[in-house]
This record gives sequence, C-alpha cells and structure tokens, in this order.
Amino acid sequence: MKITDLKKKTGDFTLEIADLTIHEGAIHGFVGGNGCGKTTLAKLIMGILPPDAGRIDLLNLTPLEMTMTSQRPYLLHNTVYENIIYPLKIRKWKTDEKRIDEMLELCSLLDKKHQYARSLSSGERQKVSLIRALIFNPKLIIIDETFSNMDMESVQLFEKMILDQQMNDPVTFIMISHQLAHIYKMCDHVHFFSKGKLLESGTADDIFLRSENEIIRSFMDSQMIEKRGNV
Amino acid sequence: MDQISAGIESFFANIGALDAIRVTFVMAITSTFISALLGIALGLFLERHDFTGKKVIIRINRTLMGVPPVVIGLVVYLLLMRRGPLGSLSLLFTVQGMILAQTLIITPIISGMVYAHAARSAPSIRQFARTMGADRRQTNLLMIKEMKHEIYFAIVTGFGRSISEVGAVMLVGGNIKGSTRTMTTAISLLKSQGIFTEGVTLGLSLLFMAFVLQWMADYFRKEETADENY
Repeated sequence: MKITDLKKKTGDFTLEIADLTIHEGAIHGFVGGNGCGKTTLAKLIMGILPPDAGRIDLLNLTPLEMTMTSQRPYLLHNTVYENIIYPLKIRKWKTDEKRIDEMLELCSLLDKKHQYARSLSSGERQKVSLIRALIFNPKLIIIDETFSNMDMESVQLFEKMILDQQMNDPVTFIMISHQLAHIYKMCDHVHFFSKGKLLESGTADDIFLRSENEIIRSFMDSQMIEKRGNV
Repeated sequence: MDQISAGIESFFANIGALDAIRVTFVMAITSTFISALLGIALGLFLERHDFTGKKVIIRINRTLMGVPPVVIGLVVYLLLMRRGPLGSLSLLFTVQGMILAQTLIITPIISGMVYAHAARSAPSIRQFARTMGADRRQTNLLMIKEMKHEIYFAIVTGFGRSISEVGAVMLVGGNIKGSTRTMTTAISLLKSQGIFTEGVTLGLSLLFMAFVLQWMADYFRKEETADENY
C-alpha cells in the first residue's frame, strides 16, 4: 500500500502524510502522542473518512480484504457467536464451527458463546472483536488500541496468535498502540507521528533506540519515566 | 349467563361501542403504518444526508412533535372542507380524512424519534459495517436491525398517540355513530350526556390497550437493559 501527499482536515487538526509505504505481509506500528493523527490515518486507509487531497493506493487489496478493530469495538445487539460470524455471513461463507470454538476456547470465551455480547466486560469485548477480525482471514488488519483493556495473559495470547499467523500465512497488520513494549516486540516497521505529520519511519530499533529526532527521543524518554513510575 | 351476555351486547349496541372500537383500530393501524413508512424513511434520510436547510427541517419536525393535535385537525378540516383546496376529494367526515389527520400528527413523532436515535448510533454502525466489508444494502439492513428496538418503540409511541387522540378526529371525523365515532370521541360524547359508566368502561379499555402496548415495548427493549459490564 502506498500513501502519497495525503491531506485531511478535521476541525483545527490537519493530517499531512507526504509519503508512506505499508509493506505487504509485515507488521507495522503507528506510534505517537494523543491526537497526532494515527486513528485518522487508519480511518482514511479503511475508507471510513474521505481524504481532502492525496492518494491511498491499495494496490491489490480490496475493501472486502481489510478490517479494523478499535479500542471500544462495536458489537452487534446479538450473541457473541452471531458477532463472530457476521463477516462470514455477509460474504455468504460457510462457518467453520471448529475454528470458532477453538478461538473462543483460547480466549476463555467458549462458555459465553451464546451470551449477549454487550454484557461482556470491556476486555472480553475486545477479544470478541479480534476473533471477528481474524475469522475471515483478511489481508490487512488494523488494530487500533484493541489490546488496551486486556489482561497481560490475553495480550500475550493474541501476540502469539498473530506471530504464528505471520509464520504460516503472513497478513499485513497495522498496530496503533501506546504500549511501546508491545509495538517493539511485534512490529517489523514503526512509524512515528507528531501533530499530524509522519516524523520518521524505520525498524523498531531505528525508532526506539537509534532515532536522533528530538521529539521522538523526548517521547520515548517520557514513556520510560512513566513506566518506571508505575513500577 | 345468557342474561349477562345479553346485557353486555345491549351496552355495546347502545353506544355503538363495537363500531367505535373497529373505527379506532382501522384508523390507528392504517395511520401508524403509513406514518411508520414515512417517518422511518425521513428520520434515516435526515441522519444520512447533509444539505442546506436540514437544521430548519429538524426544528420544524421537533415543533410538530409537540403541536396540539386539535391544531392539525383544524388545518386538515380547512383543507378538506367543501370550499377547501382538497374539498373535491370529499374526505371530510370520513375515516380516510381522520387517517390523513392522524398521519400528519404521528409522522413527525416517529421521524423525530428515529432521527434522534440514528444521529447517536448510525455513524458507529456505518463505520463498523465498513470495517467488515459490508456493501450499501448490507449496511442499510444492518442499520435497521441494530435500531429495531428504537424503531419499534417509535412505532408503538405513534400508535399509542393515535388511539388516544380526540381533538383532531372529532373535528375531521365529526363523531358520526357507526361511521367515524372512535373510542375517544365516544367517551367525550358519553361524558357530555352524563353517561359515566359506559364512558369509564371505554376509558378502561383504552387504558388496558395502552398498558399492553407499553408492556410490549418494554418486552422488546429488555435486551438493552441487559447491557451491563461485569
């Protein structure tokens, strides 16, 4: 995927991306402070927002092969099971009951399969949305802060699921997260945003350890101090 | 036993209660059906599209939600009277004329309620549908499905308003026994004649219907109250 001269203005905020390449089959991380434009860019990629100018070239991707999960995912007014099979239903695909049960079991949600989805806790809702995103094997998955309310065990479980997936049949992932350790561990490419602009792109080591950009350095330092403070 | 049923029969025959109940339901069901089609479409259209004058239309709609029905009745009467612009249709003092008045009263209520809910929830439903790869038809279907409880509640509210309305149907229908007399206009007439027992009986019947409607609305909405986070 290639993004060129992209511009989007919402209120006082303007997102401007001159050039960004998303490599097929790689895990990309979008990092930056609050309100720097990460989610806006994700919505532009998904076609949820129309750009004011510029181009997002999806190359061989179609909207049917892309999905996005968010921090507060939308769950249908229905059971957990009906939520998970929704993308299969609209594609008129057969449901693989065994795979659904396996994924629910892994996430400790099998006993809640026929429970009303909106009665789940926020972490469980995020798990359901991730299973729903993975179940139809899309080629691009955008995960926008979806791990934020999950317990560490579940985060590690999904990390393993994603890494296993990448070993067998690589999918393009875009991960938006404030959990830097998670981004560092998972991502092949990291893109740092600030005030609506892409400051730097590179490997996780390039951005986290070797960047000489003052804004990036100061952001990383502040996150480390916050982390030590929490400990 | 025969005496009791004969007594009930004579009670209903005297005041034309069965006809009043029939007219009430024909009028309420037909006008609610037409209003539901128009109101749901208008509510969803207002949420989906931005255009010049949209805010004015929403304000007018909100105003009409609270307008006294007798005012609508008067307007429809003036439209349908022999010398009025629609006088040639001969709809004054007919059930069709009453349905027209009721439709004008209920449509803004349904469209206003549907719009208010759609404005809150439709953007996230649409966004979700997009992330799932749903096409336009699937997205529209999903919107209706996801808002079905609120749409049902709006329809029930409209129906409740329709069966309980008296001012407009009195003006436009004329309260003609066996033809345009409804339960509410019959109660009004019975009260003016000092026949309170029959009036209270009809009133209790209306109250019972309102209770059933409310119970059904609550029954369909109970899933929403289960939306707890534990």
